[in-house]
Amino acid sequence: MKVRLLYAAAAALVAAALAFPLWGFAMAAPQYPDETLHLQVTRAGIVGDVQEVSTLQHFIGVRFPTELPELKWATAAIVALAALLLLGALVGGGAVGRLYRVLCAVALVTFLVASAAVVQTRLYQVGHDRDPDAPLRGMRNFTPPLVGPAKVGNFTVWSFPHTGALMLLLAAGLAVYGVRLQPDSSGKAAA
Amino acid sequence: MKRHSFLLVAATIVATLAAVHSMGCGASRSARSLAAEKVYVAPGELDKYYAFLSGGQSGSVFVVGIPSGRLIREIPVFEPRAAYGYAMNDNDPRRQELVATGGVWGDTHHPVLSETNGMPDGKYLWINDLANGRLARIRLDYFEADRILKLPNMQGAHGIAVVSPNTKYIVVNGEFELPTDGLVTNPAPYTSVVSFVDPDSMQVKFQVRINGNIDIADTSKDGRYSFSTVYNLEQGKDMGSMIQYDRDAVAAIDIPAAEKAIAAGRGEVRNGVPILDPETNPGVLTLIPVPKNPHGINVTPDGRYAIAAGKLSPTVTIIDAHTLKIIAEPEVGLGPLHTTFDDRGNAFTSLFLDSQVVKWNIDKAVKGAPDYIVDRINVHYNIGHLQAVGGDHMHPAGDYLIALNKLSKDMYVPVGPDLPENQEIIDISGEKMKLLASFPTPPEPHDATFMAVSVLKPLVHQTYTPADTAVQAGKERVVRTAPHAVTVDMTLIRSAYTPDKVEVREGDQVTLKITNVETIRDMIHGFALPDHNLNIALAPGYTKTITFDAGKPGVYWYYCTNFCSALHLEMRGRMLVQPKDSTVTLTDWHAAANVQGQVVAGVPSTGAK
Repeated sequence: MKVRLLYAAAAALVAAALAFPLWGFAMAAPQYPDETLHLQVTRAGIVGDVQEVSTLQHFIGVRFPTELPELKWATAAIVALAALLLLGALVGGGAVGRLYRVLCAVALVTFLVASAAVVQTRLYQVGHDRDPDAPLRGMRNFTPPLVGPAKVGNFTVWSFPHTGALMLLLAAGLAVYGVRLQPDSSGKAAA
Repeated sequence: MKRHSFLLVAATIVATLAAVHSMGCGASRSARSLAAEKVYVAPGELDKYYAFLSGGQSGSVFVVGIPSGRLIREIPVFEPRAAYGYAMNDNDPRRQELVATGGVWGDTHHPVLSETNGMPDGKYLWINDLANGRLARIRLDYFEADRILKLPNMQGAHGIAVVSPNTKYIVVNGEFELPTDGLVTNPAPYTSVVSFVDPDSMQVKFQVRINGNIDIADTSKDGRYSFSTVYNLEQGKDMGSMIQYDRDAVAAIDIPAAEKAIAAGRGEVRNGVPILDPETNPGVLTLIPVPKNPHGINVTPDGRYAIAAGKLSPTVTIIDAHTLKIIAEPEVGLGPLHTTFDDRGNAFTSLFLDSQVVKWNIDKAVKGAPDYIVDRINVHYNIGHLQAVGGDHMHPAGDYLIALNKLSKDMYVPVGPDLPENQEIIDISGEKMKLLASFPTPPEPHDATFMAVSVLKPLVHQTYTPADTAVQAGKERVVRTAPHAVTVDMTLIRSAYTPDKVEVREGDQVTLKITNVETIRDMIHGFALPDHNLNIALAPGYTKTITFDAGKPGVYWYYCTNFCSALHLEMRGRMLVQPKDSTVTLTDWHAAANVQGQVVAGVPSTGAK
């Protein structure tokens, strides 16, 4: 029963995650006192201080990703994962149900790992695939870490999972915990 | 032995003197440090108060931080300012308004703040132009002049005041007397009027005629009376005949009584404004006799007294602000001009001739106690106005006072014969006044008023919300709207103008609408066009429209005057003016120039670059 509740909660979290920004960036520089620039990646695209950041990026030749096709795939995957998890809340406690939930948890974790890889790839591209004719000279290529700060010119850029991603992570935690909690075929709780 | 004693005594005296001397130096150093600490605002920290100083013949308002004394902003009002792109260009609507109402300069004297419940609410600041009889309103959310009013039937708009406690009117005194019927052939004695201006519509609701020159203004705190000092009751037309009488007056106008008379149609309408003649409308005006040629009039924060400064008399006249009776006339010093107040029942009067500020206790002076003078402090030199923080409102702060001195003499490094004005910041928080610091300004602040940063700062905008008519990025265009008229819709953002090329023809009237599409604060761009007397400054979100003549054939680079980015110097574009008699069409000319994808007059631009 508890397992089903966990999966229902995980399904709800995953579905709700789409309503929130998935990834966030914060950019601080000396000439932006108390007005740190923010970008959020939502399922619809990038929002926030888009105009200001794209104005600034022009100087160092960073190509602001106006199109992010992977967001469409991610949205579809999240919807599908929510449906899978919801089903996981409905199926019984037998071996088939258990196996199904294990697969759900694996799918969710796999999705998160793959998404992290995609984000990191994008971050690499942003720092490397730059316009060679950019006005400012002497800017070295850079790779912002998936989570954490990077020094880009006069800016410190923070990359971090936003509300949506944190909800997905929590859902994954619930799913994995649920799999470990449910009784195996011999009737004992999994270690 | 005797000799030894002598040496011992001498040594002791020397040692004592040395000790005293070093102690003296120490005290003096520490006094300087204490004063410095009181006005030191560390980089990155903010001042406690905005001080608004009239710019005098600079025609503007100076915004100074207190206690630091740092000049933070000049708000141009009656005079063009290239630095802010204010009223600069011949076809600028504000410039045309200034020209039509008296000229592109002004003499600003008295900044007054809009009040709610007797305290400044941060909505508006009004400032007069004595020279051309105008009143301007400044919006404090944007620190910009938004309305300018030419006051009819009067010349020399001098003292102004808001009617407390909720800004019912702005009172404006007409200082220079004029023929009552406005006719130059009228030899009868001249008169002046007090104007009552509606703060929202900026219309003169009514005027009250006074036989004399109407000088400084204040109002009772309950909205009942306006008080104006009046000199030259003699109605003389030269200086000698202006100082004959022993006493002139404080004119108290009963505002509700005047409103009633106006509502009853008792005003004589001239130039659209009803004027009340007090002689045929008894109860409207009370003349309170005070020593001749008085100057300042200031109502105490509690609203009990109106205090008139003697100027030529060493006294102030304390008038009961409700009964209009004279209560006392204490001596304060030579050349008393203006009075301000702390929160502990003390008044501070500027003494022009003594070059002093005198602090005196109001209760003691009213009761005739001999020790009403509390303290005097020297200021440098010939002080005019003075203002303590909040002294012109119902709840003074009692911390700082600034003295606005007319002469600076030896206070600053010599800069030729035209010396700066000298403002001094005085600590009034203790029993004794302490001179903390001085700061120079261009000529010439007359009066000042203050607002707490904690009140005003949250109300201030630092970017404009783009107007509906703003040019949007991607919608830039150059369109020929008539045979000799071209409209340019332009945007600018770091570090480019779009379009960066505008082609017109000699004889064209060019109408340029230009929007700064930046959204980040302090990202101001300019648009300067050589040889066209054209300079525009645009804060983020701001749109300005200007019409100008294309000028002589040639290439003119427009460029950004306001440093913006690493590519500021490269931020420019060209206006190409084709000769009038050129036979090539613009499009052909364009093609011949082998330029692709650029903006062509007559063809809407894609905005692409």
